[in-house]
Amino acid sequence: MADDNAAEDGVSDTAHLYEGKTVSSAPPSRRKAAGRLKSNSEIPKDAIPEVHVPTIVESIFGGPVVNTTKFLPPDRMVASLQMGSAGALLILCLLTFMVTPVSGTAWFALSNMLGMKTLGGVLHLIIILGGLIGGLYGIFQRDQRALLASYTLLILVTLRFAGSKVDFGIDFLPEGEIYQKMLLLLYAVFLVMYMELTSGIIRFSMLDTSIRTGEVYVMQVTKITSRYHKSLLITPVIAASVAGLTLLINLIIPAFVGIFDDVSAMRLRESVELTSVYGVALGTVMVFTVIAAMFAVNLPLRIQQMRERDA
Amino acid sequence: MAWSRKSAMFAALAIALYLLGLVLRNTQLVTVAVVLLSFLTWAAFRTSHADVAASGRRVDDADSDEGIQLHTISALRRVSSVRIFEDGEIDVTLRIQNRSNLSKVLEVRDRVPEVMRIKKGANYVLMELGPQRETEISYTIETPLRGFYTIGPVCIRVQDAFGLFHNEREIHLYDDFLVFPKMEDIKDAMIKSRVPKIFTGAVNIRNPGEGSNFYNLREYVPGDPMKKVNWNATARSAGKMMVNEFERDAVSDIILIVDSRSIAETGPVSRNSLVYSTRAAASLSQYFLSRRDSVGLVTYGDEIVSVDRDTGKKQLYVLLTKLAGAMAKGNTPLKVVTDRIMPHINRGSPVIIMSPLEDDPTVVNAVRDLRSRNFDVTILSPSSLEFEFDARRLDRTGYEVLKTERDILLSELRGLGANVMDWEPDMLLNTALTGARGF
Repeated sequence: MADDNAAEDGVSDTAHLYEGKTVSSAPPSRRKAAGRLKSNSEIPKDAIPEVHVPTIVESIFGGPVVNTTKFLPPDRMVASLQMGSAGALLILCLLTFMVTPVSGTAWFALSNMLGMKTLGGVLHLIIILGGLIGGLYGIFQRDQRALLASYTLLILVTLRFAGSKVDFGIDFLPEGEIYQKMLLLLYAVFLVMYMELTSGIIRFSMLDTSIRTGEVYVMQVTKITSRYHKSLLITPVIAASVAGLTLLINLIIPAFVGIFDDVSAMRLRESVELTSVYGVALGTVMVFTVIAAMFAVNLPLRIQQMRERDA
Repeated sequence: MAWSRKSAMFAALAIALYLLGLVLRNTQLVTVAVVLLSFLTWAAFRTSHADVAASGRRVDDADSDEGIQLHTISALRRVSSVRIFEDGEIDVTLRIQNRSNLSKVLEVRDRVPEVMRIKKGANYVLMELGPQRETEISYTIETPLRGFYTIGPVCIRVQDAFGLFHNEREIHLYDDFLVFPKMEDIKDAMIKSRVPKIFTGAVNIRNPGEGSNFYNLREYVPGDPMKKVNWNATARSAGKMMVNEFERDAVSDIILIVDSRSIAETGPVSRNSLVYSTRAAASLSQYFLSRRDSVGLVTYGDEIVSVDRDTGKKQLYVLLTKLAGAMAKGNTPLKVVTDRIMPHINRGSPVIIMSPLEDDPTVVNAVRDLRSRNFDVTILSPSSLEFEFDARRLDRTGYEVLKTERDILLSELRGLGANVMDWEPDMLLNTALTGARGF
C-alpha cells in the first residue's frame, strides 16, 4: 500500500478524495517536509489550493481557451446557432474580401519590396481563408481557440494604412458614398454578429451541458431562446442605425445647416475633414454624447418604470 | 448594472479599433468600432433593472402574502429540517414571486454551502416569470459533513440576451441548519465505572444495589442487614426469610475529551482526526446516555469548551450541537485541560480521550495525572499519519519515522495503565473500542 501511495517527484494528487467538490484546503502538512528531511519550511505544493484566474483571452469567452469543457452533442438551439454562425461567417468573408483592399497593408508593402506584386494579394486571400477555415472549425468543433484565431485574422486583414477616402478591394463596387457606407456598415455588422453568434454557441453549449447534467434548471426554455433569437434580429438593426448616423454625419450636418444657410452647407459638404474618417469621429462624438445624456438622466430606468405603470 | 467580462472585452476591442482606425485613417476599423459600441450601448439600454425586494421571509413565518412588503421580486423558503445527521438529506423549497406588471427573465441561485451536494433538483434556475406570478423551485441537498450551515442568500440576476450586462441583487433570506456528526451503533463499549457515583442521581439504572426504590424480593443471605428483611413476605413464604432489594441509584459519570486543535484537521476535509473524533464522541454519547449514564464533554482547541455532565435525550442534543460546532483551532495542551477538569469529576470515572496525540508534549503527563487519581482512561487516537499517507501528502520514509515515534508514545501511555487504541482509518468505532479495552 505504501508503495502505491508514495509521492512521485514531489507531486501528489489528493483530488480523488474530494469527490469533485470544491472544498477548502487542509492545513499544510508539516510531516511531509519532515519526511523528506528538508531543512527549509517550504509549504508543500499540494497544500496550496489551486485557484484558476481566467486570463484576458479566456475572459472573452467566459471560460478557458484550451478546450477543457466536454460539451454534450449540440442540441437544436446550438445546432441552429452553428448554422447561423457559419452563414454569417461566409457572408462576412465575402464582404471582407470586397471591402478590404490589399493596398496599404503590411504584406502589400512586403510583396512590393520583394518585387512580387501578386504575393500581397495571395497573402491577403490566405488570411481571409484562414479566418474562414478557422472559424468554421471553431464553430462546428466548438473550439474557442480556433474562433479566437478567426476573429484575429478577420480583424488583422483590415489593418492597413489608408487615405481618408474609403477604398474597396473590388473595383466594380458602387461609387456612391451612401452605398459605400452601407456596404461598410454591412461588413461591420456581420463581423460583430459573427463574434456574438460564435460566443452564443459556446454560451448555450455550456448552458445546455449544465441543464443536462442537472446543474441548472431552465423553466420555459423556448421563451428564453426565442428572446435571444429576437434580440439577434433587433440588435443588429439598432446598432447599424446608430452607426449609420455616425457614418453619415457629413450628410446630416450640412443638411441641417442648409435649413439656415445654403452656402455654409455647401462648404461643409465639400469639407475634406467632414468626409474623412475624422468626420466619422465627429459623428461618433455627437451621437454618443446624446446616448451618454440618456444614461445620465437614467432613461432606461424611467422607461422601465413607465412600462411597469402602463402594463 | 454590472459589466460582464465579455462586454468589457468588447468595449476594449471597440476602443482599440476606434483609436487604431483614427491613427491609420482607416474607415473600416472605425466603422467596426462604432457598430461594436452601438451594439454594447443598446444591450446596456435594454438590460432591465433588477428591482428586487431587499428582504425575504420564510414560508413558515409568513402570516399571509399581504403582510410582506415586496417591491417586485421576492423569495420565500422552506426547509424540511433544521437538525440533521451527516449523510442526511434536506428538502428545500424556494418560492419566487413576481409582483411586477411585467414579465421578467430571471436567473435565480439559492446559495448553498460549498460542501453540500445537490442530490435532486437544482438550486440554479433560469426562468421567465410572468407578471403577478409565482413559482416554486425544489431541490434536495445532501449533508456530508458536520457543522453549522446557512442556506442563502438568494441571488437574483437579470441579464440581457447576449450576456453582456447584468443586474444582480441578493435577497437576504437565510435559513440555518445544523449537521450533527454521524453516529455508529456501538453495542457494548465495555466501559463501566469502577466507583459508583457518590451522589445519588435522579435516574435509576435498573440494577440492584444501594438505592431508595424497591427493585425485587430475594431470599436472605448471611450478611444482609436486618433492616432489609421484609417480614410480611417472610410470613407468607413458609419459613424462608425474604429481604427487599433496591435499585442502585448511582450512575456512571463519563467524560469525553475531544481534541479540536488545528492539527486535528490534518488530512482531507472529510477524513481527518477531528471528523473521526466527533463521530466517535457522538456515538459514545448516544450509547452511554441510552444506558442512563451521565455524560460530559470537553472540547479543546484555542479554548476549552465543556458541557457539564447530565443524562437524557436533551443532553444528547446538547452534546451533538457542541460536537457539530467543534472547529479545529489553536493548540491548547491536554495537561491544561485535565488540570482544569480533574477537580470537578468523580475519581474513578471513565475518561475517554479522542485525540491524534500529536504536537502535544504534555500528553504523557496529563494521562499520568489522570491515572494517578484512579481515573479509568481510554484513548482513541485516530492516526492522522494514515490520513496523510492515504492522501499522498507524506512519503514512505517520513511515514515510517513518524509511525515509530507514534508507536513509542502509545506504548508509553499503555504503560501508564491507559487503554489506548491506534485508530486507523476505515476501522469501525466498535472495533477500535474493543481494541482499546483489550477484549
